[in-house]
Order: sequence, then structure tokens, then C-alpha cells
Amino acid sequence: MAMKKKRYALVIDSRKCLNCKACVVACKAENKVPVGHFRNRINEERKGEYPTLSINFEPEQCHHCDQPSCVRVCPTGASWQRKDGIVLVNYDECIGCRYCMIACPYDARYFNEEEGVVDKCTFCVQRVDKGEVPACVETCPSKVRVFGDLEDPKSRIRELLATRRYKVKEPQTGNGPQLYYLL
Amino acid sequence: MHETNWGLLIVVYLFLGGLSAGLFFASGLANYLKVDDKPAYARVARMGALLAPWPVAIGSGLLILDLGNWYRFYKLFMHFRWESPMSIGSWLLTIFTVVAFLYLYSWLSEDERKWIFGKIPASWKQVHRLNVDISGWRETLGMIGFPFSIGVGIYTGVLLGAVSSRPFWNTNLVAQMFLFSALSSGAAALLLAMVLDKKNPIEKHETKFLVTLDVVFISLELFIILPYLIHGELSTQAVKEALNLILGGPFTFIFWGPFLILGLLVPLGIEVYELFPAIFKGREFHGNRNLALTAAGLVLMGGFLLRYIFVYAGQMSSFHSKMGLLQ
Repeated sequence: MAMKKKRYALVIDSRKCLNCKACVVACKAENKVPVGHFRNRINEERKGEYPTLSINFEPEQCHHCDQPSCVRVCPTGASWQRKDGIVLVNYDECIGCRYCMIACPYDARYFNEEEGVVDKCTFCVQRVDKGEVPACVETCPSKVRVFGDLEDPKSRIRELLATRRYKVKEPQTGNGPQLYYLL
Repeated sequence: MHETNWGLLIVVYLFLGGLSAGLFFASGLANYLKVDDKPAYARVARMGALLAPWPVAIGSGLLILDLGNWYRFYKLFMHFRWESPMSIGSWLLTIFTVVAFLYLYSWLSEDERKWIFGKIPASWKQVHRLNVDISGWRETLGMIGFPFSIGVGIYTGVLLGAVSSRPFWNTNLVAQMFLFSALSSGAAALLLAMVLDKKNPIEKHETKFLVTLDVVFISLELFIILPYLIHGELSTQAVKEALNLILGGPFTFIFWGPFLILGLLVPLGIEVYELFPAIFKGREFHGNRNLALTAAGLVLMGGFLLRYIFVYAGQMSSFHSKMGLLQ
């Protein structure tokens, strides 16, 4: 059977986010992220003063861009992109020059000092390849995150993007980010 | 705020790489300019040739030490990725260093070669075979090295300028700015070395040549920095915000004071003052030793500060909206 083309992406309904950080913890546990580093985070935006105050939580991680600048600048090809769009680091090829961290517009990468290599969100490839969803998606108590295949017309993610308004962050960098934030 | 991933080692490396490029360029030019079929500035060319390869060799060593896994640096040469400035740059740097060392070798006298090979055990016959006179290749090596020295000078700027996510860097002017800064610091370092070399006192026409070269490069650098500022202010919001780092932000003082005034305008003033009577009044060139030393030292400091400001300020600039990480 011929493999169907896939393009994984993440839809984030940030209005549902409670800032409980279960996604951050689940990611650390699933991927054994070293102490002091995180593969995902929750940005906070405050507007105004009490009583006219609003606060917005916005989870963020690697955007698994369509034209990832980290992959472009990597001198050894250690940063690479799978056919399904997931951007990964080949740890054996990484020399630790950190050019990719500088090239990433989203500050999504961190430097693992112990191993001397750069690391980042992998969309939990080890789970996705088994047909499961990433750990942050599975654990989210308020269902902020919807993971799916943009090439699959029947997927929930396609339905959301067809029926809801959304934005992507900093599209002007030309990276083609694939985290879609519902408005 | 974005953390800085590239620190002082990278600043030093960018400076040393540029310095070598500038030294080689000045030396090659000095060797190329001829009066009565003889190089007019042979001693300048020789001094430049002797100095040129060392800064870049040291700088490359620092660069390797800055890697997370320094022993994996060989992987840079297992791949050629034309989309990655660093990949192109590491090849360029290697070829340039080899050419610069060959060029140095071509300038050694027979006695000097004898002295070097005297240190090598006589039983290493294969090594002693290398003791050949290649002084006839000087011109050819200089010609081969010219484009590579300019390439290395540009590359140190392109490495930063090609990063689209850092608006402070991502303009087409950074590469030229770094190139002219590199060429002027090369001329200044050569002037410094020639003046300090008391065994072979520098002659006035040699000082004049190096000072002229430096004035040209500093002027060109100034004509790049001004449009960089003007163009940035007329650009998009992200670029304007990035420029605020030097126009009212943490790097304002160091940019305007030590870099622009002390590192560019003051040495330019000194050098123009030195050259003025010779060019416009037909009198003899001053050739003041202390003024030459001051100007050269300040140019070198300016070249270093330019890289310092750009490496650090550039990493702080980003397209990110002002959302903070929740503590």
C-alpha cells in the first residue's frame, strides 16, 4: 500500500488554557528533558490594570515550520525535516554550534550542555509513529491542543481550521509556522 | 528576553578572522603595486604575509572550542551545504588559511627556512623535501588569496546577516560593514606592527601607504554605518525596535562613544590630519610615530567593539511580540 502524504500540525485554542503547565510536565517526563530546560512553555500576556484587566495564556513550542530556518542554517545537516513536516535534530551529527538556536524566530530550541548538542520539541515522534498523539496533547485537561494531519480531510484539525478563524505567530519571518492559534 | 548563545569567543573569532583577511589583503595589495617593475612596498607585503595566517588560525581554534562537541568539528567538512553560511564559511576559512600559510612560506628567506628546518630531526627526510624556494609564487598566491581574503571578510558579516529571525542583523549592509571593518583593522594592525618593529624602522612612504589604505576603508565603513542607521529607522517596526538597542538601549553608549567616536572618527581624524599636507598642500607627509600608533590602536579597538556590539545586540533582537515567560 502506498504511503499517504502526511503533514502534522498543532492547533492551539489558547482561550481554553488555564496555565496549569501539565503540558510542560508531561513533555519533560515523556522526553526526559534535562533540569533547567523545557521543550514547551506558556507565554503570558497581561493587559490593563484591575478592574479592567485581561490575561492571556499562550502555549508555545517548536512550530515545525514549512521552511524551517534552523534546518537551512545548520552546517552539518543535523537539523532536518521529515517528510511529514516534523523538524528533528540528529544528535550524532550535531556539533553544538548553536547557529540553529540563533536562527529560530521562536526561541524554541535549547542547548543540552551535558551532551553538547541542541535539542527541541519533536512532536513526540516516538508516540506519533505508533499512532498516538504527543504527550502535551494527551495530558491537556482543558483540551487546548489538537494534533493532527493536515493532509487528512476527515481530521479534526482540518475541520477546526476550515470553520474557525486562526493566526500563526510571526508569519513575516517566512518560516511557515505550523502552530495554529484559534482566535 | 532571548538568551545569548554566542558569547565572547565568537566575538574574538569574528575579529581575528577579519583581521587576517585585512592583513592578507593589505599585503597582497602592497606586493601588487609596482614602481619600475619592483614592488613599491615589499617590506609592508612581507610583514603582512608573516602576520596574516596567525589570527585566523587562532580564531578557528577558538571557534572549535566554542562548539558543544569540539571533537566533532570534522563533521563540518563531511558536508557542504550551500544554504548554510557556516558551512560555506568553514570551507572558505580553511582554504584561506592554507593559502595564507603558503603565502607566508613564499616570503621566508633562505636563512629563515634553514632555521625552521634546522629544528626538525634530520631523519625526517620527507619533511625536509619541503624545504624549497617558492618565492616565485608570491604574486600567484597573492592573487589566489585576494578573493578568499575578501570572502572571509564578507563571510564574518554574512554569518550574522543571513539570519532572518534577527532584525538587527538581517540587512544587506552588515556584510559590507564587516568587510570594510576587517580590511581597515588589517591595515591598522600592519601599521602597528611596522611602527613597533624597531629593527627595521618604517619608512615614510610605507606609513603613508598604510594610512591611506586605512582612511579609505574607514570612510567606506562610515558610509555603510550611516545608511544602516537611516535605512533601519525607515524600516519595519521590528527593525526599528532592534535599532533601539543602539539608539537608546543597552548598547547606546558603547556604540556611539567607544566604537563610533573613538574607534572610527578619532583615528579617521588623525589619519586625515597626517595625510592632509601631503595631498592638498604638496608638502611632506608627517609620518608621526605616536599618532600612527594611536590611530592604529583605536582602529583595532573599534573593529573589536563593532563585532562585540553586533554579536550581543543581534541576539537580543527578535520578531517576538513582548510576551513574557510566566515565572
